[in-house]
Amino acid sequence: MDGTAILTEGLTKHYGDVEALNDLDLEVTKGEVFGFLGPNGAGKTTMIRTILDLIRPTAGRASILGMDTHEHAVEIRNSVGYVPGDLAMYPSLTGRDTLTYFANLRGGVDWDFVSELAERLGSDLDVKVGDYSSGNRQKVGVIQAFMNKPDVLIMDEPSTGLDPLVQREFQKMVREVAAEGRCVFLSSHTLSEVQRVADRVGIIRHGRLVEVQSVDDLRSKAIRRVEMFFDSQIDGSVFESIPGVREARINEHSIVMSFDGKMDQLIKTATSNYNLVDINSQEADLEEIFLTYYEDEEVSA
Amino acid sequence: MYANVFTKTSRDRITPMVIGASAIGLFLLLGMAVYKDVDLTLYMETMPPAILEMMGIPEGADAAGLAFGAMYSFMGALTIAGLAISMGTASIAGEEMNGTMGLLLGNPKSRTTVLVSKVLAMLLVVVAGAAILLIAGYIVPPLLGVDMGPYHIEALVFHLGVNALFYGMLAAGIGAWTGKAKMASGIAVAVMVISYLAYGILPLIEGTENLIKFFPWYYFAHGAPNLHGVEWSDMAFLGGLSVVFLALAVVGVNRRDLRSRTTGTSLIDRMREHPVTKKVAERIAGSARVSRIAMKTASEHQGLLVICALIMFYFTLMMGPIYGLMDEVMLELASQFPDVLVAMIGGADMGTFEGFLQAEIFSITAPVTFGALAVLIGSRAIAGEEEKNTMDLLLASPVPRSKVIVEKAIALVAYSVVLGVVTFLGTWATVSLAEPELAVGNIAATSVLATLLGLVFGGFALFLGSITGRARISAYASAGMILFGYFLWSFMPLSESFAGWAKLSPFHYYLGSDPLVNGMHWGHAAVLAGLFLAFVLLSIPSLQRRDLR
Repeated sequence: MDGTAILTEGLTKHYGDVEALNDLDLEVTKGEVFGFLGPNGAGKTTMIRTILDLIRPTAGRASILGMDTHEHAVEIRNSVGYVPGDLAMYPSLTGRDTLTYFANLRGGVDWDFVSELAERLGSDLDVKVGDYSSGNRQKVGVIQAFMNKPDVLIMDEPSTGLDPLVQREFQKMVREVAAEGRCVFLSSHTLSEVQRVADRVGIIRHGRLVEVQSVDDLRSKAIRRVEMFFDSQIDGSVFESIPGVREARINEHSIVMSFDGKMDQLIKTATSNYNLVDINSQEADLEEIFLTYYEDEEVSA
Repeated sequence: MYANVFTKTSRDRITPMVIGASAIGLFLLLGMAVYKDVDLTLYMETMPPAILEMMGIPEGADAAGLAFGAMYSFMGALTIAGLAISMGTASIAGEEMNGTMGLLLGNPKSRTTVLVSKVLAMLLVVVAGAAILLIAGYIVPPLLGVDMGPYHIEALVFHLGVNALFYGMLAAGIGAWTGKAKMASGIAVAVMVISYLAYGILPLIEGTENLIKFFPWYYFAHGAPNLHGVEWSDMAFLGGLSVVFLALAVVGVNRRDLRSRTTGTSLIDRMREHPVTKKVAERIAGSARVSRIAMKTASEHQGLLVICALIMFYFTLMMGPIYGLMDEVMLELASQFPDVLVAMIGGADMGTFEGFLQAEIFSITAPVTFGALAVLIGSRAIAGEEEKNTMDLLLASPVPRSKVIVEKAIALVAYSVVLGVVTFLGTWATVSLAEPELAVGNIAATSVLATLLGLVFGGFALFLGSITGRARISAYASAGMILFGYFLWSFMPLSESFAGWAKLSPFHYYLGSDPLVNGMHWGHAAVLAGLFLAFVLLSIPSLQRRDLR
């Protein structure tokens, strides 16, 4: 599989009775940015540390660039850049020392490129890691992951602590990596970030992969927020029976709903029963979609 | 569960104290069993009362008296005081170093409250340790059918507790005043060790009666509480100083800005800031220091190496001149020490310079210093990176876990060798300067064996850290190995029925062949080197097999 960057098959990790990761099947291809979404404690970090061979799966397997993550752990890391979720570096080293250290472990780095990255993120590399604010420390972690131009970039909540301007630059950097045909896998609970940067998202919850979709699909097929105004009092039950209507709220002459059914059917029902004065329909953002998924999950669970 | 700072600190710290004090209690049991096996009366009749008095042993001493002297006055006192120092250091400076101080003070607690709570916890933990020693002291003699004799075990334990609090408060005071944890524990340990050694050496030199009073260990030991009961004036002195330290700590912690996380300033950092040395330092720091894992590891411990090297160099260098100053009468007496007493100072014949050097340096100071260096590096090698969360990033580089172990072991070997060379140079210098006779080859052999002994303990610590991922467990267990090894080697041979046990101790392969007298014993060196290599090799699969923390 030429285009495959990351592949997991039935990846499972148990800690005693706790199922941190359960039967996870996932394929991430080169040239894409994959957003791994989930609330805190969903298993995002466990998944990432497993495919990096820092911890070992209870069952299943994973490969990166076609190589088994355990057997070829060292070769794989030649082509992988990583930002850990709980980023810690050596407090007594400066940012530049830190980068030099990791560069040496990889057999060198293009320092012009490092300077460019540092400039783009606004990072002062001559400060000791222990004296950085958490955001500035995070920048060094990000530079460290990008600096070797790895084929696969794996980042666990990378924009933690970065201010909005830096986040925007970071997102640009991520897009550039994907545009060069390399792969970015990033976990996040910040949906707006994933929405902006990712091609596809996987949603993980309680160690299970709930959904994998392209951001476009998710958005298009997904939920719209529809608001309709009428010239008379309406009866909610007329609308609630239409497939795809969720969370309808009626306020005398108007109704607001989340809708993922057929628009045609909704409008026909509305106009055949009442006089429609105005209609307002807009794309729901991922946040709403996300919450909808989770609310559904909770109801069914 | 953690009602407040006091209960949390007490809970965190009580376990090492219980383990440490119980181990001393166990040593008491084993030591007394050995002494019971030996006919002491013959030796005791030949000993002048003054010497016995100095060692805290009454005329016609028995197994109980000797065992209390060796286990409580020496090992017990150092262990309990060492644990108190670790608590005192952690009280303020440790929280700052870990970056948890801000969180703690985010609660409605004043700095003084936090400090006092932690000091009270230290008090509780020390009292708990003393209580265990007291109970063991009452249980062990009847258990073995040994006569308790005229001993004031409760007075000895009381002295021991007050002594421990003194060093703990010293560490707490320095830590609270400066916020520097390493400095606090370093100074407190140095004061303790130096004053312990001075207390042993100074009485052998004429005209030092007043000088000795500057060393705090004097106030713990000279009243011989085991014989005469509590020496209240001495206790009041140590207690009073502790209160002064507490007051200084309160002022110190309230007067300054707290550190959010201590980065520490190394020698290289200072050189980097200075215009004259900037270029050179930049080259060392910028390229060499981070060139590979071994160099990086070594640079983290440069302060530790400097301290250990200074200790070894200073003490070895002093030995020649001190030997020259020694009272010949005392030396003559010392050369007639019975084996049981000689065992307490490492099985050396004090009548010769070799014996004196072994008693004062190579039997205790050297193993502790080499061991401390190697254990601190070894225990943090793997577990330290895991606990500080830097291992994830390190292993995200294309470096196999086996290489990380090997690189860490290289740093360990390099620093131990440096310490060995310094020890050799110090001893060689003192021999050249003061002209006691001692073959250079024998000095070299002993230094090599001391280096290897340290490496065995360091390798053990590396191995434990690789298995558990916990630096503190590894360090405590390795320190236990040093104590237990010393015990096996020095006390077991006194009794014929236990004599064979000494070979189980690494110390046997270090000093067992009397290298200062006989030179190198290659077989013993090979055993120590083999043990170290085995621990390093065992560390590799231990780390490879498990999930990182």
